[in-house]
Amino acid sequence: MRLREVVVAVSVALMVLLLAYVVSAGGLGPLAPRELRELARSYLANAYNPWNVTQSSLSLEAVTAIVWDYRGIDTFFETSVLFASIVGVSLIFRGYRERPGIGGRGLSEIVKTSTRVLLPLILVAGVSIALHGHLTPGGGFQGGSFIAVLLVLATVVFSLDFLVERGLASGRLLALRSAGLLGVLATSVALLAVGLALGIDAYIFQNMVREGSELSMPQWLLDRPTGGTLLFFNVFEALAVAAGLALAFLVLSLREEEVGEAMAAGEWHE
Amino acid sequence: MEVVPISIAAIAALLSIVATYLAVRSRDLLAAVVFSAVQSTAYALIYYVLMAPDIALVYIPVSVGILPAVTVMLVKKTERYEE
Repeated sequence: MRLREVVVAVSVALMVLLLAYVVSAGGLGPLAPRELRELARSYLANAYNPWNVTQSSLSLEAVTAIVWDYRGIDTFFETSVLFASIVGVSLIFRGYRERPGIGGRGLSEIVKTSTRVLLPLILVAGVSIALHGHLTPGGGFQGGSFIAVLLVLATVVFSLDFLVERGLASGRLLALRSAGLLGVLATSVALLAVGLALGIDAYIFQNMVREGSELSMPQWLLDRPTGGTLLFFNVFEALAVAAGLALAFLVLSLREEEVGEAMAAGEWHE
Repeated sequence: MEVVPISIAAIAALLSIVATYLAVRSRDLLAAVVFSAVQSTAYALIYYVLMAPDIALVYIPVSVGILPAVTVMLVKKTERYEE
């Protein structure tokens, strides 16, 4: 039995290697060109271009510039899809509320102490990834999922009761999640609203000065570039993702006693 | 050509195949979760080596942190061993 498993694993690996050889020889269609295409060249030239701001987003990170500026509406709908799935989870478990006093009190003291050292490090990493999204690799989603991992880790190690006693609740997470999404929405129409109020032309998802519009988001914070909307988008996205993922984990970890309550509430709503 | 990064990616890919096979074959569901986390770690390494640090940064917390946590939670609600 053991030998058979090894043989199967080795043959699968061999098959993948052969497939990789076929692909690299161009057997499954043409390979991607090694030189940059025109589109990539223009993104790279314009992501941080203070000499031609009308086509630039003044972001040192081209990926974030593409994700939240050049292709901002796509990303907005991606965020909305995640939000809709969180809404679905909380709709199925409507009436769910954490009840203190059931379940364990977390893991052993050794694990708790070492986690106490670890949690601030994860928090700092997540916040810095989110805040530096327009300068270094990363951004709102990455930073937000780091912070969500922090909440999941704290739930497992310190027990749910410990956190509920200190004010964690699924209702509050849902409110944070909605605040994050509203912030993304507000940032995307901020310049349009200012333009309407002042009678100047402006665009939705406008970041810097564009052709036909002189409005611009703040370009510098002290001596650092902010990337205009990118900083705001990253902060709000981090908030929304952290609260959303933590909410999903919290609701999925519900206990027997709470299931009954949630079901009863669901029947009451019907 | 850059030989070192591509060979690192190849080794990580082979490791991920072995981990995936073990995850599918394992009758102990907790062990299957761990194998799938190993596979995710290998993928995160591949993303990093192929110059996609943005994807690596999102892949590590989601598929090594949150996904195994949720799956372990679900395994706890059913049974640990597959029939």
